[in-house]
Amino acid sequence: MATDPTTHAPAWRSKPHWHRLAAWLLLALAFAAMLPLPARAQMPTEAARPRPLAVPAPSARVIDQTGTLDSAQRAGLEARLAAFEQRKGSQIVVLMVPTTQPEDIASYANRVGNEWKIGRKDVGDGMLVIVAKDDRKMRIEVAKTLEGAVPDLAAARIIDEEMKPRFRNGDFAGGLNAAVDRLVGLVDGELLPQPEQRAGSGSDDRSIDWGDFAIFLFFGFFAVAPVVRAILGKAFGTMVMGGGMGAVSFFITHNMFISVIAGLVALIASAFAGSRPAFGGAGGSGTSVRRRSSSSGSSWGGASSSGSSDWSSSSSSSSSGSFSSGGGGDFGGGGASGDW
Amino acid sequence: MMIKRWFLILAAVVSLSGCGYNQFQALDEASKSAWSEVLNQYQRRADLVPNIVATVKGEAAFEQDTLTKVIEARAKATSIQVTPETLNNPEAFQKFQQAQGELSSALSRLMVVSERYPDLKANQSFRDLRVTLEGTENRITVARNRYIESVQEYNVLARSFPSNLTAKVFGYEPKPNFSVQNEAQISTPPTVDFSAPKK
Repeated sequence: MATDPTTHAPAWRSKPHWHRLAAWLLLALAFAAMLPLPARAQMPTEAARPRPLAVPAPSARVIDQTGTLDSAQRAGLEARLAAFEQRKGSQIVVLMVPTTQPEDIASYANRVGNEWKIGRKDVGDGMLVIVAKDDRKMRIEVAKTLEGAVPDLAAARIIDEEMKPRFRNGDFAGGLNAAVDRLVGLVDGELLPQPEQRAGSGSDDRSIDWGDFAIFLFFGFFAVAPVVRAILGKAFGTMVMGGGMGAVSFFITHNMFISVIAGLVALIASAFAGSRPAFGGAGGSGTSVRRRSSSSGSSWGGASSSGSSDWSSSSSSSSSGSFSSGGGGDFGGGGASGDW
Repeated sequence: MMIKRWFLILAAVVSLSGCGYNQFQALDEASKSAWSEVLNQYQRRADLVPNIVATVKGEAAFEQDTLTKVIEARAKATSIQVTPETLNNPEAFQKFQQAQGELSSALSRLMVVSERYPDLKANQSFRDLRVTLEGTENRITVARNRYIESVQEYNVLARSFPSNLTAKVFGYEPKPNFSVQNEAQISTPPTVDFSAPKK
């Protein structure tokens, strides 16, 4: 032990750049550790929170990991849930797992619900029926929107009266069917927004809107700026463009911050555009600006079109029978649990 | 000249938003609304207790001790005034948390004891109240979890490097979070003694 430093010391001293290299490495590491703060902030919680049981992908309306239901029973239940979703818009999913251990079925159900977010995007009307077969426990987890239609007591009654006796006799398909029937009946009595026609126009509108808006402002600005400047003069025209840009974007976005930024950008851009002839290389700078505008315009267009195609694919798939979550359900712990 | 000045203003705006000021506003508001939901669910439970007590009182031979504990715990929990400022006051927060924790344990004790009374177990309104209480406890758990998450996000922002300067300048303190109430009890292993059965 005592001889170690003495034998090593010459080796270290003979290579002094090691120290510097190590110092640089440490510094780089420190910066790397500092930069992606939000990403790192997630890590400890992921590790600290026990995540024993993986949440399956929401691939169907009936997910049976226990192999209890045969294919005909599954298809029958699935068809009823699909028909219900088409008629009313609400999404109900049946999930059968062998066990939720070591987690309580209530917290597992809540986790699944909030990960899937079943229920329409703007409505959030989702419901989850979970059966943990080996634990002999079941739960109906209700999203906040449906807590009025299916209060905890109603869910408890359904569990007690429909599921429990049938599950005791091993009739899982019958129990689930009866429970789904009553849940459907309860939700039918609730006034919910009509299901949208397949286009999924609501979300489409929003994503297209943003893309269109940005493209419109971008090209509109370059078209209008020279005209305004020609009419009002260089200084006043620049001011008007900046103010107008800010006003227009505030009118559209209702966001003070964005509109102030937009106004400032417009001011600077039109001031630059105004001094373009003085630069001499007018053609060069003009084309570079135009090229940038066209490339950014196409990227905006690309983003909006990919967004819309994403949506249309998901909504068309939901109409064709396979399942995709609406993404609006917020599960706050409503519902009831039971056992058999 | 003109351009330079505008550029400076733009740079100031961008740097102010880059230092996390707006994020503080968003996260502060998020944690406040998560806190309101926690209070909301605690209130729901407190409103439920008188009904439970009234139903249990119908059972003549019910353990009076357990019942009075629930009543006292509820009175204590509802006597604590909670304002949004409670969030910035760790002591008041601790007190509130402890009172609610006492009510939780008194209620769960009541539910365990009620198992010994077959008449009570068969009573439909008691069963309904039991389901409602269970649902409320679930909602409390979810609301607390969400509050914990939102506060964590806020506190990470308030403590990590570039944004902690903003926090210092504008006085954003890290917020208190829920903790285990009886840490000492949990960390000592329970003694298991089969020799003398209680009752």
